[in-house]
Amino acid sequence: MLDIRNLHASIAGKEILKGINLHISAGETHAIMGPNGAGKSTLSAVLAGHPAYTVTEGEVIFRGKNLLEMTPEVRAREGLFLSFQYPVEIPGVSMTNFMRAAVNAKREHNGLPVLNAGEFLKLMRAKRALVELDNKLAGRSVNEGFSGGEKKRNEIFQMAMLEPCLSILDETDSGLDIDALRIVAEGVNKLHNETSATIVITHYQRLLDYIVPDFVHILADGQIVRTGGKELALELEQTGYAGLVNN
Amino acid sequence: MQEIIVHKGEKKHLVIMHVAEECAQWQIKQEADSVLTVHVFCLDTTADTESSVILDIEQIGEHAETYIYGLGILTGKQQISVRTHVKHSVPNGKSNQLLKFAVRDEAKGSFVGELIVAPHAQHTEAMQTNRNVLLSPTATMHTQPQLEIYADDVKCSHGATTGQIDESALFYMQQRGIAPDEARRLLLAAFFHDVQTTLNEPAVEDRIQRKIEKIIL
Repeated sequence: MLDIRNLHASIAGKEILKGINLHISAGETHAIMGPNGAGKSTLSAVLAGHPAYTVTEGEVIFRGKNLLEMTPEVRAREGLFLSFQYPVEIPGVSMTNFMRAAVNAKREHNGLPVLNAGEFLKLMRAKRALVELDNKLAGRSVNEGFSGGEKKRNEIFQMAMLEPCLSILDETDSGLDIDALRIVAEGVNKLHNETSATIVITHYQRLLDYIVPDFVHILADGQIVRTGGKELALELEQTGYAGLVNN
Repeated sequence: MQEIIVHKGEKKHLVIMHVAEECAQWQIKQEADSVLTVHVFCLDTTADTESSVILDIEQIGEHAETYIYGLGILTGKQQISVRTHVKHSVPNGKSNQLLKFAVRDEAKGSFVGELIVAPHAQHTEAMQTNRNVLLSPTATMHTQPQLEIYADDVKCSHGATTGQIDESALFYMQQRGIAPDEARRLLLAAFFHDVQTTLNEPAVEDRIQRKIEKIIL
């Protein structure tokens, strides 16, 4: 599914990622944990193709293709989805128009006929139920005036609409109370299947009680310093990052 | 120059489709209880010329209402200046202005909004809003709200901003699979949306929408 080899990336001349190697197969869930400034969000931004970052070395193969050569929108249409840590408010652009443009762009890319208005609204209704997203929110401008929890729920709703192969959840748990966390995690779990993969970026073990990873990677200073099973997250909770990195 | 009097109690709607070469000027007087709505559209991109729209409006009768809505897309080397001069000469008048411009290429836009509340024009309510978006680094927009308020019991407000297309919104939309051109089109349509909805005439609204899309696609 995804093969990251010796990935180096920088922003404004400062190197943040210093040789990341990561292999992810279909059906797997990987957690990436690490202290502030380790490069977790940079990794997700680089994979999504954010223009502020420059890849200086290495390669990323996504479903057999060179990911780094694709524009951000082509990456998305090929099945890469990033749940943003800070979802952007877009006043005046309705959720419906936004999602219809996104879904149909992906369908066209994959040689499928675009959905008409009726088919599209039916799809919206079905997917909304999955994350218990209020109909009123779906009728508003993208993320405008949404609470922190509603924004994160809206990210998972969009993920459900787009049915990505690879979902990257960047600190989806930040700013969520326990009930919202449960709803969001349940949504992610329902969407996960043997043909898709998930990367969960988080600071805390808490989210991993709900989204159980197959692998946990510790990122520190731009490199993966340890990899283990889900027990590594528990160990981390006890020793802190300092303990782990020093071992 | 065109001179118009909006008579007592009359409701008048003026739609100005600005023509690229033209310097158009209206002088309008409003009698008591009249309602004037003006829509200005600067969407003619066929010539790279200098042109202007001047609206000179005076409320000479009480309880008159003036609404000015405008939108424009300036392209190429166009230079368009829009000037509104709204004078409240008597008490109890209302006015509201909302004008939005998107400036592209090397075009230069200017908006001057003069709002005058005469000394005895108490209980005037006047608002003016101008929002602009620059679509290229070489595009410029000058905005100049000029409020002269000589009465003390009034409600007046104004706001003017000039910015760029929100890059973070653009990337967010791209990450969902939307091409940058389509994303810009959606963002611009959103930018103009509140001005368009003031038309309340679906046929004109459609025509404006098609013109906007033709320019920004």
